[in-house]
Amino acid sequence: MPDVSVVVIVYNDAERLPTAVRSVLDQTLRGVEVVIVDDCSKDRSYEVAQELEAANPGRVRAFRLPENSGGCGAPRNHGIKQATGTYVMFLDSDDVLERNACRNMLAAAERTGSDLVSGMCVRVHLDNRWGKTTEWYPWIYARTRTLESITEYPDLLVYDTLSTNKCYRRSFLLEQGLEFPVGIHYEDLLFSAQAYVAARRITLIPNHVYYWNVVEKAAAKSISNRRHEIANFVHRMEIHRRVDELLAAKGHTAIKTAKDAKFLKHDLVLHLRDLPLLSDAYRQEFARLANGYLAGIDPEAYEHVTHLQAICAYLLGKEDWKNLLAAADAMTNKGRLSSPLAERDGRIYWCAGHLDDAEGRRILDVTDQGFHTTPLPSLILGNRLTSYEDDGRGKVTLSGAVVNPLGRIAEDAELSATLEFRARRQIGVRSFSFPVATVRHAGDTIEWSATADVGGTVRPLGIIDAVWDVRLKLKAGGDRMTTRVSVGGVDLESAARLRVRPRLTRLVSDRFEPEMTKKGNLSYVLTAEGPAAVRTQSLISSAMHGKAAGVVKRSLRRALKARRNIGSGEQKVKVYHEVFSKLPVKKGTVVFESHMGKQYSDSPKAIYEELVRQNAPFEAIWSYAGAKPTGFPEGATLVKRWSWQYLRALAQAEYWVDNQGFPLALAKRPGTTYIQTWHGSALKRMGFHEPRTKAQGKPAQDRFQAAVNRFDHFLIRSEHDVRTLAKGFRLRDEVLLRTGYPRNDALVEAHRAEADSGERVRGPLAAELGIDPDKRVLLYAPTFRANADGAVEGFEFPFDVEEFADRLGDRVTLLVRTHYLNSVSLPPSVAGRVIDVSRHHDITPLLALADGLITDYSSVMFDYAVLDRPMIFFAYDYEKYATDIRGTYFDLLDKAPGPVVATADELMQAVAAFDEADAKYAEARRRFLAEFGEYDRGDAARQIVEKFFTRSGK
Amino acid sequence: MSRDIFIVSNSVDELGGVTTWSHQMARLFTDRGHRVHIVGIAPVAEEIRQKLPADLPYGMTTLYVTHPPKARRLHGIKGRLNAPERRRQAARRAQMRAKAEQLSELFRAAGPGAVVIVTQVWAMEWVALADTKGLSVIGMSHESFEASQKSTRGDRVRRWYPEVDRLLVLTPEDADLWIRAGMENVDSMPNPLPFMPDSPAPRTAKVVASVGRLAFEKGVDLLLDAWADAAPRHPDWTLRIYGAGVEEAGLRAHCTSLGLDDSVEWMGSTDDVLGALSGASVFAQASRAEGFPITLLEAMAAGLPAAAFDCAPGVREIVRHGEDGLLARLGNTMELAGHLDTLMSDAATRDRLGDEAFRSVRRYSSAEITDRWEKLFDFLER
Repeated sequence: MPDVSVVVIVYNDAERLPTAVRSVLDQTLRGVEVVIVDDCSKDRSYEVAQELEAANPGRVRAFRLPENSGGCGAPRNHGIKQATGTYVMFLDSDDVLERNACRNMLAAAERTGSDLVSGMCVRVHLDNRWGKTTEWYPWIYARTRTLESITEYPDLLVYDTLSTNKCYRRSFLLEQGLEFPVGIHYEDLLFSAQAYVAARRITLIPNHVYYWNVVEKAAAKSISNRRHEIANFVHRMEIHRRVDELLAAKGHTAIKTAKDAKFLKHDLVLHLRDLPLLSDAYRQEFARLANGYLAGIDPEAYEHVTHLQAICAYLLGKEDWKNLLAAADAMTNKGRLSSPLAERDGRIYWCAGHLDDAEGRRILDVTDQGFHTTPLPSLILGNRLTSYEDDGRGKVTLSGAVVNPLGRIAEDAELSATLEFRARRQIGVRSFSFPVATVRHAGDTIEWSATADVGGTVRPLGIIDAVWDVRLKLKAGGDRMTTRVSVGGVDLESAARLRVRPRLTRLVSDRFEPEMTKKGNLSYVLTAEGPAAVRTQSLISSAMHGKAAGVVKRSLRRALKARRNIGSGEQKVKVYHEVFSKLPVKKGTVVFESHMGKQYSDSPKAIYEELVRQNAPFEAIWSYAGAKPTGFPEGATLVKRWSWQYLRALAQAEYWVDNQGFPLALAKRPGTTYIQTWHGSALKRMGFHEPRTKAQGKPAQDRFQAAVNRFDHFLIRSEHDVRTLAKGFRLRDEVLLRTGYPRNDALVEAHRAEADSGERVRGPLAAELGIDPDKRVLLYAPTFRANADGAVEGFEFPFDVEEFADRLGDRVTLLVRTHYLNSVSLPPSVAGRVIDVSRHHDITPLLALADGLITDYSSVMFDYAVLDRPMIFFAYDYEKYATDIRGTYFDLLDKAPGPVVATADELMQAVAAFDEADAKYAEARRRFLAEFGEYDRGDAARQIVEKFFTRSGK
Repeated sequence: MSRDIFIVSNSVDELGGVTTWSHQMARLFTDRGHRVHIVGIAPVAEEIRQKLPADLPYGMTTLYVTHPPKARRLHGIKGRLNAPERRRQAARRAQMRAKAEQLSELFRAAGPGAVVIVTQVWAMEWVALADTKGLSVIGMSHESFEASQKSTRGDRVRRWYPEVDRLLVLTPEDADLWIRAGMENVDSMPNPLPFMPDSPAPRTAKVVASVGRLAFEKGVDLLLDAWADAAPRHPDWTLRIYGAGVEEAGLRAHCTSLGLDDSVEWMGSTDDVLGALSGASVFAQASRAEGFPITLLEAMAAGLPAAAFDCAPGVREIVRHGEDGLLARLGNTMELAGHLDTLMSDAATRDRLGDEAFRSVRRYSSAEITDRWEKLFDFLER
């Protein structure tokens, strides 16, 4: 008896059948047999099968169904009946098995005693020039795993619905009476679900077992054959219903929920993409089928999908096509904002409709996405094509509408735009632009229209740059936005192919064909229409698979890589060391940087301003990160972090001043003095005291040590810093400067002024922020959180900010400042009561303004102590923060100079009882300042300037 | 069925884990009636040679008399013009073919069902040239996937092992990593226990033991950091550090700076590992990298509960956290200190984990492991 029988089914595929069978006979496991079942083909398939049987006696057997069944079910069922092996696998005549598949499946089955072993399927894209392959749900097969029941891992049933990448114990199939359904498409879905549910043990192996050959271009569909899809959709819904029945019968509710979530995430999306192109009749039929099914979906499934997926399902239920199409566009193009949105009662909604429905309000609420606060140029706005006309030769007139969300593009903003044709592969020729004649406000959109002589202007190369995308670049006032154009319901099928003149002559290709991309956007593809071009195209495509093409493809890849590399960090670091560092040091130049260029702030700013105040002879260079520097001083030279100018400035600077670290890869030459101001005393463990650093290998630790050894001077505020930071970075004692922090000079000064005059003066910042003089100002400044790998987690309010505003907003204005690695978006409902101040570069003026501080573990607590004002510690996750991942140098609960609260309710009570707390903690605050800020005496910047930058000090 | 088994390594007697393993397995296979032959490609220098007993019950062959010259690939015009080096490389290749022929002769003389076990990927370069028709060829990688990737062996395993009948790595988790890296013929096989005492250690002495070379990757500095956190609560306990190595002076200085001189004893290296373990109640291991750590196996065989960093698949394969030992995340010395604290404070947990370790580690007994090998030989013939 063979170990494994492989059932190979075939229908009209005589040509490829031998390859499939060969892949079984060549298995490393010798004990395999092939059972070929021909579904009554019209070609020579059965004869070929019989020839294979004759050539491999005892290893191949051929069978034929008496009449064609029209599916995969009947032949596979017949194969199961004829198989004699202990295990059974299925193979389609156009696919192949990996050489070790049977051995790996058998080993796993025998080791675990599983009824079912499943391995990874790989899709092989036969028409892809680069031999592309994609793994099918690789995350399911990341590791070997044995399940006692499918309930342990519902996603397996939900996602991997193939029957072919699996090995079944034959006795298991027979005992359970498992068969494929006949006369319906998607038979794999039901069969695999039945097998998963029936199996007493299932083993997953990460091996590639099955190569699924696919030809994508054949799948490109015209509208007419899309209409047939309604029939497929009927089949799909029917299979889903049968699987649901099976799950219900076995009481597998958790699996049903997971399956429902996948339906919302995947199945529905698949069909929504086509909707814009289809008729109303189709849409209604589709909605009828889909909504019938959606009604049975577990409401909990909505918890596991993205907000857009839920919105799509909801709008489909309402048959609100206009808003649904916009939502579907946004879902297929991640990050796109394709709806004008609506604000109602301080919240932001996807659309203005359905808000009288409570469920609608819940699902359509997109306040947390922050569309209302994200800077306009950072939004990716939807842009829908409204009409497409051509002259049949080379000229097109395009019109469209860009979404204007919440009217954020102001009525009076001056509008202009260009239409850009851009090669997707950026080699040589890159883009051509056309002026857009009309751009104007039109309700909640910006309408535009442009006529472009594409044929006369766009000159593609001809071979490599086959695909060109169309983008609209919109300028509104000072904001620039780039949008892709989505085709929507505009009919491109009757549009003419435009005549173009490629640079490599019309012999290569001569037409530009408008096309809708997979994601529904407008692009043009180079094609051939004239006989000469058609001939060349077929020559090229056959040559692309030859040996010579391999050489060309490889050198092209190398050329592309080389071009990418010119501006890469590696190259730049090399030039920095080998060229720039050989140039002479420029006396009197100082490069400043704060938080890796993200801000103009902190002690580097304080030192810089002191230098300016003292009129010291020096040239200042400030580093900035991001596209455009805003808020940096005008008197200084600005260089973008990692630009060539930046590297050259660093290489030739006499001084480096920074609070975090210039790029670790850059060595500091001996002629440069590095003043590391650092950015806060430490609660959590730092440097070599961090578990992450301890876990590193020797080379990584040596690199880190070398980077830290660049510090010539390191500013400290207390002996606590000596015990913690200095040890954590393994700094030599002579490096330490006991000056205190220059950034805190202003706070010492503010405290002195307040003590002298007996009153607290709010500066211009209060007015700028629109703060009510009668309200107390609290600053909420939490630190960031990272996981064990050091990856920063996104910020989420640990309390309900709307509740905070409602309970305390009449007495308190809350300023929210997230760590510079985080950001936040506040709902409009709290406007005036809670203010986001995260984008202010410098926190020091905010500290001086605030009457009290709420923090968790941010080092801002040590700085704020200088002001001797009340603090509340909202340490809702202290246990985890302190002991789990990183560890702390001292127990905050012991030393906190203010109430430590753990829940949102306690926090609000503590805020309400603010004044009582103030007096109670006065002594604790004094101790805290003495321990952590003894050297902050208000003259740090002056000391630094005198020591390094003025002649008197030298 | 009795088989001819060839164990092919870089050398037959280079000091280290692979040699110890080869001779242990050779003895175990011989005891089962197989005919074993140990083959080394090249001899090694005197100072790194392991002393082998004189009367080995199996054959031993070394192909080269002196170490072959280093392989070099000659690239580009410069390489083409380097005539002396090209001649050297041509001679090397010719000699390799001759040595492979010597291997082929050995293999041809074997009976049906013979097996070649290649313990190191370098040796595979000769086996690949030899005639292995009719034999099962099993390749091995005696280190973690991660360690292979950090050296050139990662690429060499991919180059030389894809055609062997089975590639064996240390743990199922490493096997999965190799599979995800594109090798489809991978399985795993653990190393056997070197000794198996009849009863667990008494666990009465207030001693935590650590055994290993004093090298950076063994993380003794981290063990001292953890000890500095845990020791103040247990003034009557001692940490005994067995082993010697290049880092000793630095580690002793670190120990002094942490103020631990009173509670840490530097024991030097020992030949009597079981004796050292029997005199302790807890085992500690703070390695940054491991393959299939034999000292951890030994400690469990001695009946000690271990506190260790979960630094490699081999460690979590051997220790089941909370059942027969305690694992901490790599580098998290606070967590390791917490585990040491638990094991020192709580005698009941110490005994429970230690007894369970003593029992569960028997799944790596030499009899079990030899059975698994014989099953594999049968499987590869199917």
